[in-house]
Amino acid sequence: MKRARSFRTAMRLLAVALLTALSLSSATSATTRPSTTTTSSLMAESTREALPTESSATTGLPAPAVPPESRIVIFHINDVHGKIDNFAKVAAILDAERKTGAQVFFFSAGDNFTGDPVVDQYDPPGEPMLEMLARLNLDVTALGNHEFDYGLEAVRRLAARFPIISANIQAPPGTLPGLKPWIALKAKDGTKLVVFSLIQIEPGNGLPSTHPDKLGDLRFSEPLSKALELKKLRAEGQVLIGLTHIGHEQDLILAGAMPEIDVIIGGHSHTRVDPAKIVNGVLVTQAGSDNLFLGRIDLFLKNGRVVEKTGRLVDLSQVKDEDPAVKAMLAKYHTNPALARVLIEAPFELTGKNALGCLFTDAMRAAHNLDIAFQNNGGIRINRLPKSITLKDVYTLDPFGNETVEIAMTAAEIRGLVKASFEKRKEIDLQVSGMTYLVRADAAKQVKSVQLNNLDGSPLAEDKTFKVGLSSYVATTYDFAHKDPGRSTRTLTVDDLIQYLKSAVDLGIYRDARRAFSEIESEPYRN
Amino acid sequence: MHIKMNGQTIEIFTGAKVKDVLRKYSRAEWMLVRAKKKKVCDRHGNEVGLDGELMGGEELVTSVRGPEESRS
Repeated sequence: MKRARSFRTAMRLLAVALLTALSLSSATSATTRPSTTTTSSLMAESTREALPTESSATTGLPAPAVPPESRIVIFHINDVHGKIDNFAKVAAILDAERKTGAQVFFFSAGDNFTGDPVVDQYDPPGEPMLEMLARLNLDVTALGNHEFDYGLEAVRRLAARFPIISANIQAPPGTLPGLKPWIALKAKDGTKLVVFSLIQIEPGNGLPSTHPDKLGDLRFSEPLSKALELKKLRAEGQVLIGLTHIGHEQDLILAGAMPEIDVIIGGHSHTRVDPAKIVNGVLVTQAGSDNLFLGRIDLFLKNGRVVEKTGRLVDLSQVKDEDPAVKAMLAKYHTNPALARVLIEAPFELTGKNALGCLFTDAMRAAHNLDIAFQNNGGIRINRLPKSITLKDVYTLDPFGNETVEIAMTAAEIRGLVKASFEKRKEIDLQVSGMTYLVRADAAKQVKSVQLNNLDGSPLAEDKTFKVGLSSYVATTYDFAHKDPGRSTRTLTVDDLIQYLKSAVDLGIYRDARRAFSEIESEPYRN
Repeated sequence: MHIKMNGQTIEIFTGAKVKDVLRKYSRAEWMLVRAKKKKVCDRHGNEVGLDGELMGGEELVTSVRGPEESRS
């Protein structure tokens, strides 16, 4: 509540600042921007004079005077989410451009991690992505909300390989060594690019969209308000860039409030902005998601000022050239031995939707401390788990990438969900944990009653509200009334399953397990 | 949170993604987008990915994908 109030206050302040900035913007056009190169304590803190792996665009040599003319090329990605396959094409494009002698930079606007088991389940998690980005000489990455999905140790491994920046994250000492609010990158001709970053936070809890347990003691402030404190960075270089992970709508507001920025390279909303837009004199772009597009920005500077800027996306499906060495690296990652690793040995093969559904929903319930959990039969894609259960088996069982959604529901609302599910499929469709149910229906499979029981057989309390977990598929495609809209747990159901199986649960309880029953009037026995 | 899809306000759980809103809006539209016959765009006409994250208040529209548009 307090966080929500703070957020509203911040947004009010931002609105005032935005109006002020817009009223000034007519007098602060691109052609009148300051182009000084003053030195300050901030610059000393963040200037990256030389990279551990030096890119073609950077140099450790003393900065020459601002050149009369300069051309800069920035390639950018965002929300790759572990999709590494197109990096062989990206490598070919970057290398070809670098060979021309152009001043080339390569940025990521965050969410490098999470979304592909090849990368997510590697040991250590995310390592193929880090190796790919290192091969491509990544100059800097924003931190996206999904950078935290593997925990802070993975972010520290990211920070050990590349500069990581975010201005609205406050990290206690030692938590995220290397995290800076901004960085200065120097081109071969001495042109200085100042790059800052912002991470998205949710209005409700003031945290990025990941599981809160993954964030440790990190603190976050409202990104757009924080950005307004960074206007002074304009004086620190010739090009000011916002490498953001706040979503395209917020990028547009940022552009409206800060004409001091030359370029905003965004992420988070998976928006394909092609060509890049000019808003309030600021070039705003974002390269979709999943490594399907590579963004390219061309900057032309005269006397230390950007006088021309364009941005386009390269559709990687249309690119034929691939770097053979990177392709070989990809082949290695796709044989990830972790996927064949046995998570747990079961005392018998788990067979049938009832047993697998009980296992599935127990995993959801255990992961999020829920009272009850539901999953539909269609979301359980196999009928048998072998005795030696591997990661690959679990991804085969649950390949859809749905999240667990928590909704506060009454018994009446749960009854409505079960009724809707039965009438939709004309048979038992929802598997359940934390309770049992019995559907009585007529010969036409129209539901006459739904009886809800606790696991000990007693009736479910009618006057209580339960913490119910649903897969996001059930939450969005089943027609049932519920007062609470609910909230995502920010966890995939498949990750709930993996966590549950890793916890050495007694799988013996799932022999003949069944919690969902029906009685059809014309049938003499329960089906 | 609330998202507008083709002008219709959809109330949905916090943290929903584009695909969640689309599925809740219309299963038929969801199938067309999945089949690459349609795409989802923001209020500025930019295509957005199905896993695109939302804050609440966004306006989305579905539109027919042109023959030259292979995918999002």
